[in-house]
Amino acid sequence: MAQTIAPSGNGPNRPRMAQNTRTGLIFLGVALAMLALGYAAVPLYRMFCQVTGIDGTTQRASAAQASAVQATGQRISVRFDGNVANGLPWTFRPMQTTSNVVIGEKALAKYEARNNAARDITGTAVFNVSPVQAGKYFTKIECFCFTEQTLKPGQDVEMPVIYYVDPAILEDPDTKDIEQITLSYSFYESERL
Amino acid sequence: MGIRRAAQYATFAGAALMVSAGTALAAAAEATALPEDAVVGGYVPMKPTEGKGMPTPGAIGFQEQFSPIGEYGQWMHNAVLMPIITAISLLVLLLLLWVVVRYRTKANPKPSRTSHNTLIEVVWTLLPVLVLLGIAVPSMRLLASQYETAPEGALTVKVTGYQWYWGYTYPDYGGFEVISNMLPEDEALANGEPTQLAVDKRMVVPAGVPIRIQTIGADVIHSFAVPSLWFKLDAVPGRLNEKVMFIEEPGVYYGQCMELCGARHGFMPIAVEALPRDKFEQWVLEQPGGTLGEPAMTDVNMPVQEPESAVPGAAGAPRPDSALEEDVDAAEPAPTAA
Amino acid sequence: MATTAPETFPVHEDAHHDAHADHKPAFFQRWFMSTNHKDIGTLYLIFSIFAAIVGGGISGIMRMELAEPGIQYLGAVHEFLGGAAGDFDGSLHLWNVLITAHGLIMVFFVVMPAMIGGFANWFVPIMIGAPDMAFPRMNNISFWLTFMGFCSLMMSAFMPGGTGMGAGTGWTVYAPLSTTGSPGPAVDFGIFALHLAGAGSIMGAINFITTIFNMRAPGMSLHKMPLFVWSVLVTAFLLLLALPVLAAAITMLLTDRNFNTTFFTPQGGGDPILYQHLFWFFGHPEVYIMILPGFGIISQIISTFSRKPVFGYLGMAYAMVAIGVVGFIVWAHHMYTVGLSVNEKMYFTAATMVIAVPTGVKIFSWIATMWGGSLRFASPMWWALGFIFLFTVGGVTGVVLANGGIDDNLHDSYYVVAHFHYVLSLGAVTAMFAGWYYWFPKMFGVWHSELLSKLQFIVFFVGVNTLFFPMHFLGMNGMPRRYPDYTPAFELWNWVATKGYEIMAVSIVIFFANILYAIIVRKKAEGNYWGEGATTLEWTLSSPPPFHQFETLPVIDDKAGAAH
Repeated sequence: MAQTIAPSGNGPNRPRMAQNTRTGLIFLGVALAMLALGYAAVPLYRMFCQVTGIDGTTQRASAAQASAVQATGQRISVRFDGNVANGLPWTFRPMQTTSNVVIGEKALAKYEARNNAARDITGTAVFNVSPVQAGKYFTKIECFCFTEQTLKPGQDVEMPVIYYVDPAILEDPDTKDIEQITLSYSFYESERL
Repeated sequence: MGIRRAAQYATFAGAALMVSAGTALAAAAEATALPEDAVVGGYVPMKPTEGKGMPTPGAIGFQEQFSPIGEYGQWMHNAVLMPIITAISLLVLLLLLWVVVRYRTKANPKPSRTSHNTLIEVVWTLLPVLVLLGIAVPSMRLLASQYETAPEGALTVKVTGYQWYWGYTYPDYGGFEVISNMLPEDEALANGEPTQLAVDKRMVVPAGVPIRIQTIGADVIHSFAVPSLWFKLDAVPGRLNEKVMFIEEPGVYYGQCMELCGARHGFMPIAVEALPRDKFEQWVLEQPGGTLGEPAMTDVNMPVQEPESAVPGAAGAPRPDSALEEDVDAAEPAPTAA
Repeated sequence: MATTAPETFPVHEDAHHDAHADHKPAFFQRWFMSTNHKDIGTLYLIFSIFAAIVGGGISGIMRMELAEPGIQYLGAVHEFLGGAAGDFDGSLHLWNVLITAHGLIMVFFVVMPAMIGGFANWFVPIMIGAPDMAFPRMNNISFWLTFMGFCSLMMSAFMPGGTGMGAGTGWTVYAPLSTTGSPGPAVDFGIFALHLAGAGSIMGAINFITTIFNMRAPGMSLHKMPLFVWSVLVTAFLLLLALPVLAAAITMLLTDRNFNTTFFTPQGGGDPILYQHLFWFFGHPEVYIMILPGFGIISQIISTFSRKPVFGYLGMAYAMVAIGVVGFIVWAHHMYTVGLSVNEKMYFTAATMVIAVPTGVKIFSWIATMWGGSLRFASPMWWALGFIFLFTVGGVTGVVLANGGIDDNLHDSYYVVAHFHYVLSLGAVTAMFAGWYYWFPKMFGVWHSELLSKLQFIVFFVGVNTLFFPMHFLGMNGMPRRYPDYTPAFELWNWVATKGYEIMAVSIVIFFANILYAIIVRKKAEGNYWGEGATTLEWTLSSPPPFHQFETLPVIDDKAGAAH
């Protein structure tokens, strides 16, 4: 130590070193807390998106909750979009391009998926709606995207989604002029560990 | 070399001045002056107009705008922001020159000790706030107008970014997908189009109506950008983005990918061709799988054109053999081989 | 600024202490195991200059390639680096590797080491009257971690990274291009380089904060600290709060790449946009990390050569704190086109414009410092005046870009490149040269040539403006960033920019000539060679300062404190 900091006894170095260690540890703690916060951002971001519907994250409700919603007289157009990630040998497409649904009323839409490969493949669908501000008001009751889907070679299935558009969409100044909501799915092959 | 170049640039600069002087009126005249390319019954790619929808050699400003948002944005930049930032920069420069001359040691041998003046400190804090508030008003208007949603029945075009080409799907017209690759230099020049911007198949849309553009990335993030339409929207994998595009008049409008997406990021340009509605519909009917019928398809068994994005390993750009594809395949959890 | 009356300062009149103070360890121990803040500062400066040659050389290749349309040199460089001839994608990949390396090197291995590792290490302990940093050994670890980070980045260039050798992801390392889009170890090594440099910087930040909080000399209250120390304190806090978030984000990238996690890939429910949020939560404070120490250096220089205390000292200090705080809540203005909602975009537009206020306070306060002063135009003052103007130009284009609606056209275009090079290459680097010439005789005990320094400034000023100003035009005309080739309409201004680079390169030759001049001529510098106006503590020491300064702590005279 002697050669590094002023060595002789006239400086108040020894108590200062203990103090430095304490301060240093405190700020090391701050850095570690920020590191933890970086990881915590993952679930926090997801929660934030789900609560606010930001980034076009859709909402989820039970059948009971859905039947409690009052249907309005107004209609809104819903467009359906399907994508398959690079490398997943599936065909996946909506069976209807658009639907004109009553706001507040349950509606059913179907997608068709086919496994073109000669092996079982499990896929997961990620989804969002656009315009993004509509996410808060697009509620799914049942969806093939809630679980993983496994298709046998050559298997062709219909995949249903039951949803409703929350009547509150008509009250929000950011969303009341929306004429059409697009629901988009992208299928990815589930990670095999 | 130097002289040749200088002469070349002189002509560039002249052209730039001419174009920047061009008003909307001149632009309209140019549009009508377009050569009538379309043979009856057949779509022929429109010849681009020099300086319209493309960068101008030596230009020092924005490309001429062909959408209401673009015109407003350009106005805000040229009439609000530019004067303010030029004035601020000049003010700082003048103040610097003034103190350098007035307070050099010779002119002012005895420095003052003033280090406070509350009044002036408050003033130079508040003045910028007021200036910024002034900027914020048109800025928020511009922002809000960019988020206006498409009206009922608006045409939807889904833009898919691939490594390294674009796909344009028309879900309401049979769901066909147009795959668009960059033209090699010689072909572009032969067509009278700018190199690095010309494509083999353009995104064709009707002029004068709002178009709902939806973007998605097939592999990595791309960005669909057309400067003369003030349009830029990222194409993110697993997430559909949406924004309204409005093109005021027929023409060819060039753009480029604006998010780093790998080796050929600089080689996947965009060409949007806006046509009158009837010509657009003619074009649709000429596309394989293109229909003008009811968009909603309810019959499951009806044979539909599969969008390219649903086909694994879509044949897009004629990629020369490269290490990439092997690497990508090897990196993926081997499907059947291994 | 803080002044110390000479009589309260007996250290160097004590022969015994002097003898001890200048006892230096042997060469290897001194330079490879150093715990002396001045030696470590010197190491950082040498390292930074070396990294700048690499990073600047890369930009030379880039400007050469961009001088004309078409691909002229990439193929040859690609072959030179061991690539296959005629591998078109490999050459284009090399372009992406070059832009990535240029960005990472300039940010993490040039500006940060020079500003924080170099100048702050050298002068923060001296300016607050401390004998050394709080944790001298950790200081040494910081340096070597940064060095290893640089080595890791250099190694990545020679490993497969997808379409070619090296990491071609851009310095932002966006997923999924950096995960599924770039197989091969190159990106892993690139990320690891960031880990090492980041760890080094976090340790450095803890070290500076502890030093500034605990080791100030008696009487040196926070509100008497020189503004350079304030700037480093704010910077250290930004590092401490921002870098761990980057570390978390890039660690998640690593596990996404190698251990099948799906933080940022859509399969498994990850979101690539989340990576951008995390990156820019770090990335925006990072730009202030690079420029704030420069603010501090400029404040010292302006005050010295105006022979006047800084105008509005407290306003200046708290403007930096404000910039640091607001810098944490504006990050998404780097992401205006990813598909943010209208409310998010409006918020980030408004918040970003707020930053212009404290920045304006700083610019005006510097001018007010000179107002009524008795200005001398030694070379550091030339650089400082240049800084104020160039930073203003870079700042106002930032106000343009802050508007989400305008950014829809300019995002990822050359306008952005012009903007951040005005604040960084012309702002931060100009401040670095200012600091270099302000302190060079102090650090090394011998004079540089003032004439060469001024000459360098003129050439540099002309060069960088010729280089970067036309990029505004290119960006407005629609030229995208990160392109190795372009349509001929962009040729004129690209050609001009390349000429600007050549002029700038001449100024760098003058810089090295100046170092050579100092080495050959060896003109001794006095303790306070700037004379009246240079009032901070480093001017009370000899040039160079003794190996161990302040064995008896200086006492800061209350009446001559900075705030008065």
